[in-house]
Amino acid sequence: MIAYILRRLLWMIPTFLGILMITFGVMRLQSNSLSQEMEKASGGEGGVMDAKLMATGVENYLARFRSTGLDLPALVNLRGFTTKEKVVDKLRRTARGPGVSEHRRNRLETDLWLEGHFLVEPLAQIIADDALAELHGPASLALSLCAYYPLNPDDLKRLSQEEQRRRQTRNFEVRSLRIDYVNTEKGFSTTDTDGAKKRATVAEFWKRNADSFSRSSQRWGAILGETGFCEVMGKLFTGNLFSVKRKEYVFNVISDRWKVSFTINLLSIIIAWCISVPLGIRSARRIGTIEDQVTTNALFLLWSLPSFFIGTLLLHHLCTDTASGRAWFPNRGLSSQDALWMSTPRYLLDLAWHGFLPLSVLCYASFTSLSRYMRADMLEQLRSDYVRTARAKGADEDHVVYRHALRNSMVTMITLGAGLLSELFGGFVIVEYIFSIPGLGSLLVEAAREQDAPLIMGSTVISVGLLLVGILIADVLYAVVDPRVRSRYG
Amino acid sequence: MDKARSPLAMAMRRFICVRGVVPGLILLSGFVLVAIYAPLIASESALLWIDKDGWSLPLLHELFNRRSYPQRHDLLFNLLIILAPLIIISVLVLRRRLGAGFLLMSSIGMVLAIWVACQLPILPSHEGWRAPWRDRPGDAHTIRVWTAAAEQGTPPKAVFPLVPHRYDAPYEGAILKAPMRVNPVTRHRFLLGTDSIGFDVLARMVFGARISLTIGLVATAIAMGIGSILGAVSGYFGGWTDLVLQRLVEIMMCFPTFILVLVVISMFDRNIFLIMGVIGLTGWAGTARLVRGEFLSQSVRDYVLAAEALGLSRTRIMFRHILPNSMSPLLITATFMIAGSIFTESGLAFLGLGDPIAPSWGQMLNQGRENLHYAWLIYVPGLAVFLLLTSLNLIGNGLREALDPKSTS
Repeated sequence: MIAYILRRLLWMIPTFLGILMITFGVMRLQSNSLSQEMEKASGGEGGVMDAKLMATGVENYLARFRSTGLDLPALVNLRGFTTKEKVVDKLRRTARGPGVSEHRRNRLETDLWLEGHFLVEPLAQIIADDALAELHGPASLALSLCAYYPLNPDDLKRLSQEEQRRRQTRNFEVRSLRIDYVNTEKGFSTTDTDGAKKRATVAEFWKRNADSFSRSSQRWGAILGETGFCEVMGKLFTGNLFSVKRKEYVFNVISDRWKVSFTINLLSIIIAWCISVPLGIRSARRIGTIEDQVTTNALFLLWSLPSFFIGTLLLHHLCTDTASGRAWFPNRGLSSQDALWMSTPRYLLDLAWHGFLPLSVLCYASFTSLSRYMRADMLEQLRSDYVRTARAKGADEDHVVYRHALRNSMVTMITLGAGLLSELFGGFVIVEYIFSIPGLGSLLVEAAREQDAPLIMGSTVISVGLLLVGILIADVLYAVVDPRVRSRYG
Repeated sequence: MDKARSPLAMAMRRFICVRGVVPGLILLSGFVLVAIYAPLIASESALLWIDKDGWSLPLLHELFNRRSYPQRHDLLFNLLIILAPLIIISVLVLRRRLGAGFLLMSSIGMVLAIWVACQLPILPSHEGWRAPWRDRPGDAHTIRVWTAAAEQGTPPKAVFPLVPHRYDAPYEGAILKAPMRVNPVTRHRFLLGTDSIGFDVLARMVFGARISLTIGLVATAIAMGIGSILGAVSGYFGGWTDLVLQRLVEIMMCFPTFILVLVVISMFDRNIFLIMGVIGLTGWAGTARLVRGEFLSQSVRDYVLAAEALGLSRTRIMFRHILPNSMSPLLITATFMIAGSIFTESGLAFLGLGDPIAPSWGQMLNQGRENLHYAWLIYVPGLAVFLLLTSLNLIGNGLREALDPKSTS
């Protein structure tokens, strides 16, 4: 039994990883590339943009998005292996010239600026190189941005005071290293009168900070370690995922919400089973009678009835004040406004009053299909040979149904129930939205509307995690009900 | 029963005899007809317009005007207004000469080709015929046009469709009008009222049928395509391919489809075709598992061994021999999947995450949730979704009972 559970748990790890990968991939797809951001900021496509203005844009972008790992490559980071020649080549391609599209040039430039600390070393080498005089200007600008490290809220938590101050002063320092230049149709040309002095400062800066920007010691670990995926996963598992739009840690937002969803879902599943199993058995035992037919047809119709329709209907008929009287049920939330000052029994009553309609809507979606399955499976069991044998033996009908047939159909039901769980799991999103319940589902809808990527990521992972726990419980139950599983795993 | 029947005909007969299939089919064909003939039911252009210059058919000009029907699927449906009867007649006439499969495939091919052709800018795109109240704000202008024409002694005679309102533009001064109230702009009645922006509910319902059916078909086609290819490969090749693909399927099965679609949709500009694609791309796991099972059981059959002995290529064996033999479970899942994708799309639109422009039933129901006192905003779209889902589920049930040898009731 324990071996079986462990096995199922182990199988869940790749599943969970896969789900994380899919969610991360989707988040990545959205990531507005920097050039799009800049275009939005400058109010139109293809405009000729001042390099300094763009640099400020990059700084802002880094400050906003570095916490989501969007400035890093998604899965494999090979930036530590960029050679000086390659950087020179990239810099040359960002020069204006006849036939060079401004859009493409901007994109190349911003991509280069976002490459981060691994580029500082080759850029410092370029600035030190007298033969590449025309590139000193753009290289120094790129260096100032690659060495830039904006402090995010989660950095404030992680880094020591001293380190924070060091980085902040460095951020100010790198800005002063920029050598003025112009980028015209003829190529780059340096216009700075202090050029030589600034070059010396760059050399000095590089010498001073060589250990924090050194590539040789870090680049191997960075291939897999310093990627967007690792960054986001690290933040996810340490609870440091930060929602820029809400200015709050994602798990702080979720922690208020998930308990509500969890309780509601659990309750609804229990209620659905408690209704559907007896209903299915009753229907199967009375097959052919009017009662069975009515139940079957009603269940079929209910099964086709979308939950959002029935929820809205209930809201319309039971939760709105009309001329003839007050509403029967409240139409939003899980508790009244003054719930904090209520005595415990009254609070519970209030909770039940609020929770009744959402729970029934959430239940009915699963209980219709569960009852249908239960009836079909029970019928199959009742027609099978072992049931006939039991009857021939003279066992009374209740004994046959509850001791023989039910145990066997439970095996099927649990398998189906686990499969159904993930199918029905979307239901709570809709129900929470309809009844404005402050749970994970309505949070997910809010986040999706605001396009708040970290929050979507966090709430999806938590809800899928809850689902996986549910599937695991189903697996355990399966082993409890089915002795074959137990005997196979010892 | 003395006449010999083909297995297909026998299955058809069993299918029709299952209880609930006939009402389901009638309901579904009703929805399909409404979807195809939507412009003839709800349009601001007159079917027939007679004034002192003679008579004209404004709606006919509108039908193939790309500017009047900018949605990608609309022109296809408009072409089907003419083509659907032609296809049905040719099927009926040629049924004896050509096989049913050939006819089916060629009709599907034709429709697809027309869809592609519709996207090319070959159809006219002009300003279109203007109903007198097109110049909004309309009330004063409309009355002027009509009274001026009446004073001249030649009031125009016009035959309008059942719903003489547009689906894609709101009417001024017609917010949350109850059913059967008069439109102040056009002086026609709103048969099923208006919503909180001023759209005619019935006109939008009629065009919403197009959205729902397109969603169902396209999403299911994508999911079925991916699912059967992956399932076939996984079941036929076995080994490592199977193991990897099965893990993938397991992951997709564990991921609640609705949440996955929601996450993907939230990240992009919301467009109805993107939603179709996403629903299709995320819903293939069940099909893949099903097809794999079928392939596992079929690939040891004699006819597969014979095909292998003949030296046929693997692709040919997989897709020309085994796949057609595992068609019936696929057909059953496809029907339920159409219902599922329609549900998913309406659910998304209900959450306010659908295409903001498309007249989707779910989006209208969301309006109902936001304006809870107005019953028609809830009942009309809700019942439509319910009836469409019921008809599809009835047909799916019938197919299962007719095709599945296991179910014997």
